[in-house]
Amino acid sequence: MISLTIALRSVWKNRRRSLATLLSIAVGFTAINLFSGYIQDTYTGLRRTAIHYEGLGHVTLAKPGFFERGGVNPAKYIISRDELQRLRRLIEAQPEVQLTTPLLGVSGLVSNGKISTIFIADGEEPESSARLRALPGEDRIWQQDSLDPRRSSSGLVSTGLAALLGVEAGGSATLLSTTLEGQTNALDLDVLGTWDTGNSATNDKLLRLPLDYVQRLLDTEGASRLVVLLHPEASADAFRARLAPLLKEAGIEAEMRTWEELSVFYRQVKNLFDLIFLFLFTIVFIVVLMGIVNTLTMSVMERVREIGTLRAIGMRRTGILRLFALEGGVLGLLGCAAGVAFTFAIGSIINGSGLAYTPPSSSSPVPLTVAILPVQMLVLMGLLSFVSMLAACIPARRAAQLEIVDALGHV
Amino acid sequence: MSLIQLLRVTKEYRLGRTTVHALRGIDLSFERGEFAALWGPSGSGKSSLLNLVGLVDVPTSGRVILDGRDTAGLDDGERAGLRNRQIGIVFQSFNLISVLTALENVMLPLTLAGTSSATARHAALLRLGQVGLEGQAHQRPDQLSGGQRQRVAIARALVTDPLVVIADEPTANLDAATGHQIIELMRSLNRSQSVTFVFSTHDPRLLDAVDRLIRISDGRIVDAKEAAA
Ligand SMILES: Nc1ncnc2c1ncn2[C@@H]1O[C@H](COP(=O)(O)OP(=O)(O)OP(=O)(O)O)[C@@H](O)[C@H]1O
Ligand SMILES: [Mg+2]
Repeated sequence: MISLTIALRSVWKNRRRSLATLLSIAVGFTAINLFSGYIQDTYTGLRRTAIHYEGLGHVTLAKPGFFERGGVNPAKYIISRDELQRLRRLIEAQPEVQLTTPLLGVSGLVSNGKISTIFIADGEEPESSARLRALPGEDRIWQQDSLDPRRSSSGLVSTGLAALLGVEAGGSATLLSTTLEGQTNALDLDVLGTWDTGNSATNDKLLRLPLDYVQRLLDTEGASRLVVLLHPEASADAFRARLAPLLKEAGIEAEMRTWEELSVFYRQVKNLFDLIFLFLFTIVFIVVLMGIVNTLTMSVMERVREIGTLRAIGMRRTGILRLFALEGGVLGLLGCAAGVAFTFAIGSIINGSGLAYTPPSSSSPVPLTVAILPVQMLVLMGLLSFVSMLAACIPARRAAQLEIVDALGHV
Repeated sequence: MSLIQLLRVTKEYRLGRTTVHALRGIDLSFERGEFAALWGPSGSGKSSLLNLVGLVDVPTSGRVILDGRDTAGLDDGERAGLRNRQIGIVFQSFNLISVLTALENVMLPLTLAGTSSATARHAALLRLGQVGLEGQAHQRPDQLSGGQRQRVAIARALVTDPLVVIADEPTANLDAATGHQIIELMRSLNRSQSVTFVFSTHDPRLLDAVDRLIRISDGRIVDAKEAAA
């Protein structure tokens, strides 16, 4: 294709100018890729945190209304023992499900005999909960203890709370709450250990308690939520959509929330990062657009006579348009190709450097890594090349509109 | 029927509030196989006239009839198609595409017409041979002398076997001897291939070879003489 030949050779002929344009495109392309590689890795990490460490699983089921008002009137939203059994049997029969684990929320006062403070806790089934919280196929990044299934009166205390009460592993405390019937109830708790919740807002309040302990404290045999862990590849949204009609069929009334909906922190971080990404992308977009328009405007101005000549020997206006659009596309494509090389080079340097950093509201450093995303790079390459081509059309249109006589110059 | 007919053609240019009357009513026709020169002082309208013949520009009034076909109603694309297939143009300053080799420049009109590259290449090499440049086929314009560039331009104008080749002052950017050679080349191609040439010049020394001399002054034809061939 002769237009492509001319476009390529013109880019090469003006290589100094082309290089400047190429570099700006390449730098923008690299910035987008590294940043999105970074946030991708962060999202992956946060997803694991939410699903396993926070124990949100993929999907959580509760009685309708629980997620909005469950804190005020827990008795109203209790899933009875029978219901819970039916529900678990139904859900565990689904192929994408790894396990289910029930939770029973409680709050009240915890006392060391001298001082009291508020606590919140979820009663959990020690075995299934420990399996939910174990990270799949990876060394455990977080130091955390599990509840002991043989000791039904032992729980874990968040480090902030432990410090407040002056208790440590092996010590004991008393929990005070009201039963579902409204009677005050108190139970002793052996402190099995302490753990850092990783979040300063909860580190002085949270307890982890065995389910049957909380059941005794609240005087019930039910639970308030059922957490479902899926196989790693499964999608929470797809599972929810598939499960809803099955529940209806079985006559079970339940509301479902995915981990994404429940993890406020994940959503906040994602919203922020997505915004920064949009900002960065817009800047790069504008830089590419202006760079191409600028370069091609110069190119058109220098080649007015060539345009006149091509038209005089029979090239149509669309041919001129195509010629310069191609030149823009070539610049965009080459810029992105250089960007791919930059991304791989800088990305592997970052990933190999073993850098670590402490993200905001996190209590320990995490490794700084960027994901290399080939598919996304290809898409971005196509997109930016296309944008370059469109941008080139602005000066190219002017070139195509030239009258031949004017373009040839009246000598 | 004449190959090209101009009927009461005028051309005006608007320059701000004034109107330049470049051509003031031209009646003229060219026959197949002619070797004709337009001669006249600067500003007399030679370029304007050739631009109309070459379908590069449109007349303000009057008709331009090419091979029996009135070109008035043609749209931009059709005119481009006609320029591509039926007109060959040689420019004063050669106007080769600088990033293409001599061969590619000569192939270009055929490539634009959609001719297969093998056919285009074959035809272009043949034309380059006819202008004596088979050895320079792969050189870029900036590696060629002025005379050589104009030969490439002539080969490019001929490659589609056009009805007519127009050349607006093809020797103006060449020294006298080279200019003469270019006219000689055109003349011999006219004789051997019966290519129709219409060129303009203001150099009277180049007029010995022409069949027909059309003198133009102030946008009018003042006298046309048939020279003995
Ligand atoms: N594009 C244009 N815009 C305005 N005026 C023009 C344009 N082209 C030509 N003219 C004017 O029209 C008249 C005829 O010009 P033209 O170029 O046809 O003459 P010419 O015989 O080719 O002259 P030269 O020997 O200098 O090339 C001149 O007065 C010129 O200034
Ligand atoms: Mg002129």
